[in-house]
Amino acid sequence: MTDALEVDGLSVRYGGVTAARDVSFTIQPGQSLGIIGANGAGKTSTLKALMGLVPRTVRSVRFGDQDLTRVPGRDMVRHGIGYVPEGRHVFPGLPVEKNLLLGAYTRRWKGATLDTLDEVYELFPILREMRGRLAGALSGGQQQMLAIGRALMSAPRLMLLDEPSMGLSPKLVSDIVGVLKKLNERGLSMLLVEQNAQLTFEVTTECLVMENGAVAMTGTSESLRQNPQVRKIYLGL
Amino acid sequence: MQVFLQTFIGGMSLGAIYALVAMGFSLVYRTMGLVNFAHGSVVMIGAYIASTFYLSVKLPFALAMAVAIGVTGLIGIIIERVLRPLENKDFDLMLIGTIGFGIVLEALAIIIWGATGRAVPSPVPAAPIDLGGLRIRTYDLVVLAIAAAATALLVYFLQRTKRGAAMQAVAMDHQAATAVGIHVGRSNAMAFMIGAGLAALAGGLVGPLLYVSPAMGGLLGIKGFAGAILGGFGSIPGAILGGLGIGVIDSFAAGQFQGYSELVTFLIFTVIIMIRPTGIFGERTVNRA
Repeated sequence: MTDALEVDGLSVRYGGVTAARDVSFTIQPGQSLGIIGANGAGKTSTLKALMGLVPRTVRSVRFGDQDLTRVPGRDMVRHGIGYVPEGRHVFPGLPVEKNLLLGAYTRRWKGATLDTLDEVYELFPILREMRGRLAGALSGGQQQMLAIGRALMSAPRLMLLDEPSMGLSPKLVSDIVGVLKKLNERGLSMLLVEQNAQLTFEVTTECLVMENGAVAMTGTSESLRQNPQVRKIYLGL
Repeated sequence: MQVFLQTFIGGMSLGAIYALVAMGFSLVYRTMGLVNFAHGSVVMIGAYIASTFYLSVKLPFALAMAVAIGVTGLIGIIIERVLRPLENKDFDLMLIGTIGFGIVLEALAIIIWGATGRAVPSPVPAAPIDLGGLRIRTYDLVVLAIAAAATALLVYFLQRTKRGAAMQAVAMDHQAATAVGIHVGRSNAMAFMIGAGLAALAGGLVGPLLYVSPAMGGLLGIKGFAGAILGGFGSIPGAILGGLGIGVIDSFAAGQFQGYSELVTFLIFTVIIMIRPTGIFGERTVNRA
């Protein structure tokens, strides 16, 4: 039921600086793909550009039999793509539940959407407890859960995650990893952008390594984990 | 005591109108981070349209007001649509653009209605009603009731409807709002439209209290803006309190200092703002990232 996402020739330029150059990849149905790389390697730009949130050039973006090449950012969610931004970006002045419902902005706020809300609350029980609290008053980890929950509310078939581990304690990181694995097992395709290579290898089956805005290496997560160069640079071993 | 209360209620009535203007300023500011300098002129256009349909077309007062709200709402949408290409590109130009729209609207008003202005008779009996010894202008009560109803509607829209929630989301985070599927431009247009509608409501209501003239926009714009700042710019409850506050200060200053009343009002305003620069409810900052 899920579709393959095929991205061909994605580039991002800010002024005279090229943030991402000719990035191409495919995410198979139900697969989780990782993008790792150092700070400034172009991972976040790639993701934002894919989501249509920054100006980009791209040869084509296809999701199953849909052509998303010219779809504006605000309509990506209508094609089944959920987005968890770097730095969480919850709506701080709105209650937790309003944040989640806004994730389902493209759906009607009743029936199946409320079932999804229940599923999100089951996934993150703390959010149910905090449902009336303002999102800005949550801890970093809770905000990350909220950001993931918000993306799930649109019932996406593919979820783009940008640095979900950033600034979280090891305990929370492993909680998030557990949730991501669970979602993936349920058939949700994922694109995970991370500086934390360890985490990425654990959640994904295949990875791109980005350096200076371009894809430097690709391979299965398992083979990359064994790769001496990757071990040295990204795992610090 | 009696004089005190009568002055107070008169001030509340004028303040309710300032509050409507202030809410328009704050709504657009919190959504877009933009001060709409054309807002005062929209109030003036609203006052002219309402009074024209009331006096010349002989529509009932409420209906004339509805027409004014509709037309200015459209003006609000046009202003946003023209300025939209500048958003995220040149914010200063956008600001100057609103000033330009203000000048155009004022010039249009002079062309259509002339430079002299007009007096609008009260739609309700001018005789004051007697409430336990207090003599209150009936029209003041009408103004207060309508302003309260409009405020309640706005709060309901923002708190209880999906589009209202979306508008707040846009105010807090453009990118996250876009990612969940909200059309930011359309949401901004709606904020402008509602702001302009509130301006027309204020303009229509103020007609029987002040003189309707092309220059009235400046005065009401400044008072409404001061109200919004006093309450905390961007805050809706702040705009209400701030507007009422300016109205009451205004009313007492007019009673005590006559010709110097404006000076006194803004002096008090300045002192309060020096003590509390963020205004009464001012804490939040607008995230334009």
